[in-house]
Amino acid sequence: MTTPATGQQSTSPRPVLTRRALLGAGLGLGAAAALSACGSDDPNDLSFWNFYGPSPTPSTTSDWFKSVTDEWNRNNDVKVRPRFIAGSAYLNGNTLQTAFSAGSGPDIFLISPGDFLRYQNGGALLDLTPYLPEGAREDYVKGALDTRTVDGKVYALPMEIEPLVVYYDKRAFEQAHLAESDLPRTWDQFLDVGTKLTNRNRFGALFETLPGYYQNFVWYPFLWQGGGGAVADGKSIFDSEAARGALGFWRETQRRGIAPKAALGGGSGDTPSNLAVGYCAMQQSGIWAVADLKTQVPKFEYGIFPLPIPEGGKQVTDGGGWAFAVNARGKNPEAAARFVSWALASTDAAGIDRARRWNTVAKTNLPPRTSVRKAAEAKGDFTSGVLKTFATSIAPTLRSEPRYPPEVYKAISDAIQSTQLSGNAPAGAARQASDVIDNFLLTYRGGSIL
Amino acid sequence: MAALTSITTKAAGKPAMSAERRKRETRAAWLFLAPDAIGLLVFVAIPMVFALALSLFDVDGFGNYRWIGLDNFHRMLSDPMLGRAIGVTVKYVVLFVPLSFAFGLGLALLVWNKFPGVGMVRTLLFLPNALSLVVIGLLWQFLLVDKQGVLTKMGRPFGLGDVSFLGDPKWALPTYVLISVWYSMGYQMLLFLAGLNDIDGEHLDAARVDGAGAWQRFRHVIWPLLGPTSFFVLITSLVASVTGLQAFDLVYVLTKGGPDNQTSTIVFYIYQQAFSFGHFGYAAAITVMLVLFLVIVTAALFKVTGGGRLHAR
Repeated sequence: MTTPATGQQSTSPRPVLTRRALLGAGLGLGAAAALSACGSDDPNDLSFWNFYGPSPTPSTTSDWFKSVTDEWNRNNDVKVRPRFIAGSAYLNGNTLQTAFSAGSGPDIFLISPGDFLRYQNGGALLDLTPYLPEGAREDYVKGALDTRTVDGKVYALPMEIEPLVVYYDKRAFEQAHLAESDLPRTWDQFLDVGTKLTNRNRFGALFETLPGYYQNFVWYPFLWQGGGGAVADGKSIFDSEAARGALGFWRETQRRGIAPKAALGGGSGDTPSNLAVGYCAMQQSGIWAVADLKTQVPKFEYGIFPLPIPEGGKQVTDGGGWAFAVNARGKNPEAAARFVSWALASTDAAGIDRARRWNTVAKTNLPPRTSVRKAAEAKGDFTSGVLKTFATSIAPTLRSEPRYPPEVYKAISDAIQSTQLSGNAPAGAARQASDVIDNFLLTYRGGSIL
Repeated sequence: MAALTSITTKAAGKPAMSAERRKRETRAAWLFLAPDAIGLLVFVAIPMVFALALSLFDVDGFGNYRWIGLDNFHRMLSDPMLGRAIGVTVKYVVLFVPLSFAFGLGLALLVWNKFPGVGMVRTLLFLPNALSLVVIGLLWQFLLVDKQGVLTKMGRPFGLGDVSFLGDPKWALPTYVLISVWYSMGYQMLLFLAGLNDIDGEHLDAARVDGAGAWQRFRHVIWPLLGPTSFFVLITSLVASVTGLQAFDLVYVLTKGGPDNQTSTIVFYIYQQAFSFGHFGYAAAITVMLVLFLVIVTAALFKVTGGGRLHAR
């Protein structure tokens, strides 16, 4: 080694990290990172994206996904490899969409009704109909497949039905000297009871406040209760008395100060972070909260009641839930479809039990298939407690979560936000949303809007 | 000097070897620059060209492209939600840029002088900038939640107990601005501190000898000499407030653009158009216009201020 200016031999020891070594290490790291980012192109190695990842605490949902893929992999040459995406990134993020945009979407993935039409219209979903076992379609309860079907072809298989109800804190009711007979049945009663339950540190009720698919999902039942809807026969029907009433009902909870403008934790679907900590006394949420409360706050005493309805309205609730879908441009769509069909639609005893375990052991859902419901009832899963109420009182009032395109969802979302949080008049908000929807429908080409 | 002359003479005596070494040095310099240059090319320059091309197509995010020329740009003219997002962004910039500038400069002046524990104070002030914006968003959500948030409860004596800082459309944007300022003021403090440390102490001593008070020293010595630093802070905070991390990450975590679109910044709107609605072409068109706007504003500011050297003109 020589010094630059003198050309003299340096007496200093050779540095451990030379320039050449530094460059080499940098290039090596870059290459390693690039290689690790590459996915497998092997048609016998299918990726399955979902948000039920392993957790430090025991997770029945994660266990179910692992047991199902393990069982499939033991008996098939084509292997299914689950890839877990964090819930926040999967539900509201761009991870899935980015993968599809880059042409490297997963072979199998979970899809919600809110995203269904966008993916179907984009040609991303494989028709699963040819892969369904005989009698499987008929086994699904009425309406369960409707929002996953286009032109008679099934493009996703629902794994669950998640109806909405109101959860209430029994101790808060007692403190407010309210009995079970005071549980509200109408909107007016709900507002009155909510007012009585509100105090300095607690809200009487909680509805979702963050804009998004979830807020629309939990608001739709109030729209339907008065006979309203968004789209019919290619035209907007949103500007209706029912929509104005539903928007006005949520606005009134804010005007009376009985509902917060911002929720704790994961929002209005998160009962352990809100209802169970005394942030509110009544909270609209789904059937998943039964399992959440049982595992996270087992000593919390709560009850449920059906969503309140307007005077003269009909009892109806929203049946959300996720479905398995297959990437039509994946590495091996046929094998992926066979896996999905086997996992969720098998009509043999093992298949029925697999679906039962997801809906009653791993999670608490209403099973979307008749045979699975019967199997669950035979095991005593819906014979007592709140799950019995779900099965007997709530299930008959189910309506599937709509599959509105993003433009329709956004117009309705803006109407909800405008009335609920800015206190604007429901009539103007409903009219504006309706105009936006009509404008969009003029150029819409795609699957029917249900 | 004699030693230097000796060295120069010796080096000049071996011209061939020196040229070879210079070549190696140049090659090494290029190699060391390469990662950054390649990164800029791959992650900035090429995507910008792609975005420009994408803006001329109808793109649904599933591999389907349709040439539509300038339709995406025409659509921007009749999109009321885009107008609303621009309005939110303008309000945000107007509030954020001067506030973060003032806080950054004020803090830098406070911690410029040495006092016991000044290092710790500087570190604490810079700390928010070292945290993830997602963590910051969750932290402030917790502090400001309705009725039960720590800061909400502290506001009760001042009649703010029933205020929903993040859920009320009237309060959400100012709250978002203040959180952004809290996040970025430490970084701006560091920039100003570097500028202050570059000021020759003789100028201040001379002003002091001439009888200048603290304000006069700031007004007539520090402020003019901080011109280039101030200009840099102004430009970077302007760009950051329009397209920076806090313009998206904080909104995404804190409010999802709500309540009632009151925190839906233009960057958040672009994200929604692309990833929620699948309008990648339209999102690219808005991005192109936004970049053009920022380039023009930055160039204009450079031209008008001479790079912040107004006093030198």
